[in-house]
Amino acid sequence: MQTYQYPKSQALFQRAVQVIPCGIYGHFSPAPLIPATDYPFYTEKAKGARFWDVDGNEFVDYMCAYGPMVLGYNHPQVDAAAAAQVAAGNCFTGASPLMVELAECLVDMISGMDWAFFAKNGGDVTNYAVMAARDATCRKKIVMIKGGYHGVAPWMQAPGHHGLLDDDWRNIIRIDWNDAAAFERVIQEHPKDIAAFIATPYHVPAFSDSVMPAEGYWKKIETLCRENGIILISDDIRHGFRLDLKGSHHHFGFQPDLVCFCKAIANGYPISALMGTAAMKPMVSRIFYTGSYWFQSQPMAAALTTLQELKAVDGPEKMRVIGEKLGNGLVSAAARHGFDLRITGAPAMPYLRITDDESLMLHQDWCAECTKRGAYFTPHHNWFVSTAHTDEDIEKTLAIADEAFQVVRKKYNRL
Amino acid sequence: MTAELIKSNLNLYAVLQNLEDLTAWDPEMKAFTANWNISIQFSVLKGPQAYILFQGGTCKVGKGALPDPVVKLFFLSPAHLNRMMDGKGNPIPLKGFTKLPFLAKDFARLTSRLEYFLKPKDELLAKADYLAMNTRLTMNTAAFAVAELGLLDPLAKLAAAHIRNGAVLMKILPDGPAVHIIFNNGRIQPGRGEIDKPMACMFMQDLQVANAFLNGKLDAFSAIASGQVMIKGQTPMLDSMSLILDRIPHYLS
Repeated sequence: MQTYQYPKSQALFQRAVQVIPCGIYGHFSPAPLIPATDYPFYTEKAKGARFWDVDGNEFVDYMCAYGPMVLGYNHPQVDAAAAAQVAAGNCFTGASPLMVELAECLVDMISGMDWAFFAKNGGDVTNYAVMAARDATCRKKIVMIKGGYHGVAPWMQAPGHHGLLDDDWRNIIRIDWNDAAAFERVIQEHPKDIAAFIATPYHVPAFSDSVMPAEGYWKKIETLCRENGIILISDDIRHGFRLDLKGSHHHFGFQPDLVCFCKAIANGYPISALMGTAAMKPMVSRIFYTGSYWFQSQPMAAALTTLQELKAVDGPEKMRVIGEKLGNGLVSAAARHGFDLRITGAPAMPYLRITDDESLMLHQDWCAECTKRGAYFTPHHNWFVSTAHTDEDIEKTLAIADEAFQVVRKKYNRL
Repeated sequence: MTAELIKSNLNLYAVLQNLEDLTAWDPEMKAFTANWNISIQFSVLKGPQAYILFQGGTCKVGKGALPDPVVKLFFLSPAHLNRMMDGKGNPIPLKGFTKLPFLAKDFARLTSRLEYFLKPKDELLAKADYLAMNTRLTMNTAAFAVAELGLLDPLAKLAAAHIRNGAVLMKILPDGPAVHIIFNNGRIQPGRGEIDKPMACMFMQDLQVANAFLNGKLDAFSAIASGQVMIKGQTPMLDSMSLILDRIPHYLS
């Protein structure tokens, strides 16, 4: 197979670092792509499950813009709904009636949730959820999971990082995932001082295997929250609408007080939602929280159509089937070449790791070899599949993966 | 843990250890110290201890105390040591009074040479030999500083706490120099040279790139994206190490 080169991406990046901090910052930074020179940095266009970079290279995409593209790029119905709304107007002086329609749609759809509040990014609503929990309980401390990610506000970031004050994390307590006993201990150590427990439905740390909730874990957490007046927040931003259209808490059988959604809710249009129980509505209502673009009607139109489409095609089931087909094919290809490829997490958002090398270097080499042949694989983060991935995409991917395994097998003298 | 104490640890264990490479790789200092046979003990009240041993044409800088040093230099406080390292104070000699002329003249020439290589000027960096020595010593200082800061500096400790067990290798291509830092259950052990089976690696394309990168003159993101600096493996170890290294300017200018 032909391997890709990226001269235009590289040239653009060199221009970028002159005028943009980091060139490309945040989760799009090339730094975790190893080696970065084997990856495209800039995308020209996309369609379905594929994108084309500025050098004209075509990729089957397994990141889906890090989650939002749940129905695939340029989905005709979603884009038509968004375009129609833009034609009518997008950013108004008053709220759009679509806001009511979308809130009603979500309340009907999401298990146990009675209202919806809209913002733009995931971090907007995880932050709002924590503010609401503190206000509702008159307590300070937030319990979260080590390695968990809830955004980039100071309280969400790990201690020791730049731009943080000691006070930003003084009231944050981190415990291990799946350790309900640790939560119990923390409650005892800080009686009546814990406002909220926030976690993703299952654990998705970067550079590590995803970990499902242990049997009874969520029920135990829920019980401890109820018994101790602690607000239970489900951060469903990454998982939401990929596991269960009623919310991932429904999938795993627990009942949070607040649920955060973003990413897949509008197939790439910018909107996030905090949802909550009726009991929480008066609490959030008294907190002033807003943003310049939080009332845009176009993303609301896109969200309504995305949710309808996900229902119509049974999105979670479709992605499960696609993800399993992809995963099974990759594991078989790895085995044929003498490698043990481990897949963790849900098939719709798998984390892959070649277990033969703890340092991840072999896995990084394999992901890079796949990417420069047209299957965009990141080595550090869970992948995402969409309903737009086809059998043809999977077959092409498996052929690429097979050749990439041959390359790394030679490189690591595994012949 | 006071800033002066952390700085004194950095001075003794991250800066002064460069004498080993200076006397090994700088032809002028190699010849100058070839016949030295002396041990010097540095002791700081309520602070670090280190020794320098010149023997058989080699220099060894170590933590702790020698049983019977030829010269023993005492400092009343970490700040006292730091003043001396900044050229603004003198130690209190407790032993080896006959060697005071050696300290004032010969040893001072050696430490001046170290300072010359550690405080680069652009015109000096244009010289290949100077560039090579400055780069080597700067990388050494960084590696040894990680160990001190990761154990002592409050913010660096937070970053170090997240670093998994394993070795980090930093190497200048094609043939070195290289340093490594081993993280093992809270212990941090730096060392010169390569190491087998590192958990994370940082390769710098050549001496020029390494020098610019280590001295903060090259945008790290640009360098990584362009392949001038290549990272691989458990790169969160490098991220956390970077947070630790960012603490150096709080103590050493």
